[in-house]
Amino acid sequence: MNAGTKFRPLWQIVRGWRGGGVRTRLRRYLHTVAMFRLQGSKVLAVDMTGDAVKAKNGSMVAYDGQMAFKKLTGGGEGLRGMVTRRLTGEQMTVMEVRGQGTCWFADRASEINLVRLQGEKLFVESSNLLATDGGLRTGTTFTGLRGASQGNGLFTTTVEGHGQAAILSDGPAVVLRVAPQYPLIVDPGAYVAHQGNVRQSFQSGVTFRTLLGEGGGEAFQIRFEGDGLVYVQPSERNTIAGDV
Amino acid sequence: MTLREINSKMVEATVVPGQRLFSQRGAMLAYKGEVSFTPNIQGGQGGLMSMIGRRVAGEATPLMTVEGSGTVFFGHGGHHVQVINLSGDTLYVEADRLLAFEGTLQQGTMFMGSQGGVMGMVRGQVTGQGLFTTTLKGHGAVAVMAHGGVFEVPITPQRPVHVDPQAYVAHHGDVRNKLSTALGWRDMVGRGSGEAFQLELSGNGAVYVQASEEKL
Repeated sequence: MNAGTKFRPLWQIVRGWRGGGVRTRLRRYLHTVAMFRLQGSKVLAVDMTGDAVKAKNGSMVAYDGQMAFKKLTGGGEGLRGMVTRRLTGEQMTVMEVRGQGTCWFADRASEINLVRLQGEKLFVESSNLLATDGGLRTGTTFTGLRGASQGNGLFTTTVEGHGQAAILSDGPAVVLRVAPQYPLIVDPGAYVAHQGNVRQSFQSGVTFRTLLGEGGGEAFQIRFEGDGLVYVQPSERNTIAGDV
Repeated sequence: MTLREINSKMVEATVVPGQRLFSQRGAMLAYKGEVSFTPNIQGGQGGLMSMIGRRVAGEATPLMTVEGSGTVFFGHGGHHVQVINLSGDTLYVEADRLLAFEGTLQQGTMFMGSQGGVMGMVRGQVTGQGLFTTTLKGHGAVAVMAHGGVFEVPITPQRPVHVDPQAYVAHHGDVRNKLSTALGWRDMVGRGSGEAFQLELSGNGAVYVQASEEKL
């Protein structure tokens, strides 16, 4: 959270430290929320008025106005976050962009998807995260066997709070809804991110055919149950599961 | 308008007798009508001296002259294509990014050192443009290639624009550019934000930026 030029009563600042609700209201009161908008499908434009956003290192392509770039060691999560990221291998090189004007971000002509978070948690691979609002908190969680099947390791990045985030996908991503009656099964290589109150499990369709080398190439899947959204890209990463 | 984008990666050019068109050699995809393609040994316009100049400058991309009457489709390497219409001002672009341009435009080569002396030369090295860049001047249309989509950022005297040198494609108008460095102690110890060098463009005009940090 960034202090604006406006006067802030002390009680409001103190209340802002607590719950997410008050914090958001306070931020709205100070008008320092960065505006994320898409310019085409591959460029993210962020309008800033003195506030900050976190973005992938080196992803700025152009800006006007005044901007300062600072690398955040350990994803800007403090010493604990830094150690966790080192240990889990879910390393993220993030920079903090602060200033006034418009800043454009892009990464290797990948498609960009905007996600608006209202208190819920977004799970995304650190390599697929392009930018987050300065007020959002990032962290790491354990994903278990699912992470390994995606070829991305056992841990994933979480984004939490109120604000916008931009995620990258190889080709335009589709957003699929998961409802209690309708579980969703996704190929690990095509999974990009998910948000909401979703439980995930790993399911395998390994039969004797797979063992004979006659598998359909869809031996492993991730099953999502609960209530939320899953982002799926029209392309598959190279995974162990894709070969069998 | 002679050049027209038919999708993000292809342009359609209308050729009429008496009007020449230059294009990168081998970039023709299809054509209708009576059109001839002659390899241009000189690599563009101007006389023998211009040709030598381009050879020396390393700005000599193989070009061909397109003449006749009909329609020609151009595209190259699956790169995104952007058509830029010039009305009297000068476009600065790397020669290998040129897909096609009208014969009414005047082609030239500019020495980077002529804009800002030694710093101009350093800038050319950092942006990968080399010591020379191609200029196109006059009235007409140019098709420029880029990796990913291209977007245009207007430059006004009050609002200078900073561009990542690797994402820079072209610029036109009355624009001064200089290389601004934001090198700090963080970069020295390998903790840089990856945005140490920026191309600062100020004046009046527009800059074209691609959605990627990759070269062609």
